[in-house]
Amino acid sequence: MEKVLTEIAEITADPYGYVAGLKERKEKKVIGCFPMHIPDEIIHAADLIPVVIWRGNEPVTWGHAHVPPYDCGITRSFVDDAVRGKLGFMDGMVFHVRQCLQAGEFPFIMERHVKPSYQKVLYLPALYPGDVMRDFTITELEGFKTSLEEFTGKKISDDNLNKSIEIYNKNRGLLERVYEIRREKPEILKAREVMQIVWSSMFMLKEDHNKLLTELIKGMEAKTVEPEKDKIRVIPVGCLCQTLQFDILDLIEDLGMIIPDDDLYIGSRYFANQVNLDGSPLGALADRYLTRTPVCPTKGVWQVHWGDEAIKKMRDNDARGIISIIVKYCPPHACYYPDFKSKMEKEGINAIMIEMEHEIITLEAIKTRLQSFVEIIGGV
Amino acid sequence: MTIAIGVDVGSLCTKTVILDGGNNILSYDIMRSGHYYKGAAEESINNALKTAGLRKEDVGYILGTGYGRGAISSADGQVTEITCHARGATRLFPRVHTVIDIGGQDSKVIGIGDNGRVTNFVMNDKCAAGTGRFLEVMASALSVDIGEMGDLFFASDKNVEVSSMCTVFAESEVISLFAQGHKKADIAAGIADSIARRVVGMVGQVGLKEEVIMSGGVAKNAGVAHAIGKRIGTKLLIADEPQIVGALGAAIIASERI
Ligand code: SF4
Repeated sequence: MEKVLTEIAEITADPYGYVAGLKERKEKKVIGCFPMHIPDEIIHAADLIPVVIWRGNEPVTWGHAHVPPYDCGITRSFVDDAVRGKLGFMDGMVFHVRQCLQAGEFPFIMERHVKPSYQKVLYLPALYPGDVMRDFTITELEGFKTSLEEFTGKKISDDNLNKSIEIYNKNRGLLERVYEIRREKPEILKAREVMQIVWSSMFMLKEDHNKLLTELIKGMEAKTVEPEKDKIRVIPVGCLCQTLQFDILDLIEDLGMIIPDDDLYIGSRYFANQVNLDGSPLGALADRYLTRTPVCPTKGVWQVHWGDEAIKKMRDNDARGIISIIVKYCPPHACYYPDFKSKMEKEGINAIMIEMEHEIITLEAIKTRLQSFVEIIGGV
Repeated sequence: MTIAIGVDVGSLCTKTVILDGGNNILSYDIMRSGHYYKGAAEESINNALKTAGLRKEDVGYILGTGYGRGAISSADGQVTEITCHARGATRLFPRVHTVIDIGGQDSKVIGIGDNGRVTNFVMNDKCAAGTGRFLEVMASALSVDIGEMGDLFFASDKNVEVSSMCTVFAESEVISLFAQGHKKADIAAGIADSIARRVVGMVGQVGLKEEVIMSGGVAKNAGVAHAIGKRIGTKLLIADEPQIVGALGAAIIASERI
């Protein structure tokens, strides 16, 4: 178990180097998908390497010539990486431009300044008025598939697609198993390790990741841990599109809290819902995208309340509070949050919001907020 | 050994309160934090002990709070200033439900439940706008002593708007208002109102529930306190020594731990 965790920690310490090396080893082209909704199974089925684009750890420099400082961290970091040539190993890029206004900026910037050999813009629906949107999504995915076929010069058969979906489903199932064990023994992994495990799935080949997960799960199942009963169980929610600084996760734990489960994008949201393999593969991928849960503020879901889902997760895990993590300058989350907060107040839930910034981590201020939160829950 | 000490190490000032076994204040101390929080905390504790005629050996528990709470070497524990302000405020005014605390470099609004415990809070700790440091800069731009600023407010007879929240921009705005011939008193009132406008937003996030106490060094500025009270539509309760509310709360929690 420790060996796998060390390997994952090393891989996530340098995703650029890892993906560049992977491309060389496999002699395949790499396609970057901007988070959170691109069905990268289709890229995998085209015998390419799909990777979910990540937020780098460096301050934004040239990128600010193209995007304003009041864009979210991953937007600015990705543009900065791209225009500085740090993503030269990406042969292609895919964007879902209806996700948010900021994601809509990329195609123009990339086309002009980065010129990837392949670029695809998806218009996945943000509202679901019925079957018409399912048909629309399938048409979009068909166009996506065709564009990849033109790029590689090879047909993507339904068989190929089903095989890729199966591998992806397996990965989702294994990640779910990791979470299941963590729910039983939350002390087994540090929160940063859990984030690294999910994050590595986003840019490793799923086949390789599945091998690591299988070994990890064996170790996790065999390991006994001493329950830390005095720890306060909390559920972190949100942090759309990007990794949370690991220091913040450490801080949560250092302050006496423990995370038995989460509702983070680089967390349980990433692997939620399998793709049904019974019917047409593109229809099944469309159905996964159109699924209303977990509620995502970039998809206009009003029939299910995100707050209800978070509260359920909190109660199912005997947790005592919810920590909302909002990426600074993320309009979809910021717009949903007032409603989420009202729900927490109405239901009398201990809840706090912290803002996650790309460059300036005011860790001391976050510490005061989180420590106060612990004191509120603990009744000091 | 029933003596309890609360030390609040703020970015500008360090405050210490000593309580006896019956939770009566025996002494307190306020001094500048300077750049060496650890030294300031120990010096402030010693000052308060001296005033109370006590020795360190007489003390049962020392609890640190405030921005520099981690730097107090003699502390037995630490609790955030949010919790401590709430506890101090309810001790001074038992019916209080909202605390507006404006210190040297941050401001916060704290909601308190009927049981005297924190229900929610907001903090502004990312910029010095509307804090004690902001007032110091404005006083120097107006060439008045910081102590005179509060009284100056009441001599105002005209509304002058200081629109900028940022300390740096507000300073240049004040200088240009001065150059345009506006009276110092009117500008001082404009500054107080600019702080009040900022606080109103924070109070709105927590939800105003009476009674409301204002604490922190800026509460000593009667002009700012008046402007905030006017904006939120309620009279603010202010302790005789508003700077020690957090240290008092820390001392109360310390006494519970003996
Ligand atoms: S974090 Fe929010 S604003 Fe940024 S790309 Fe994702 S959805 Fe858009």
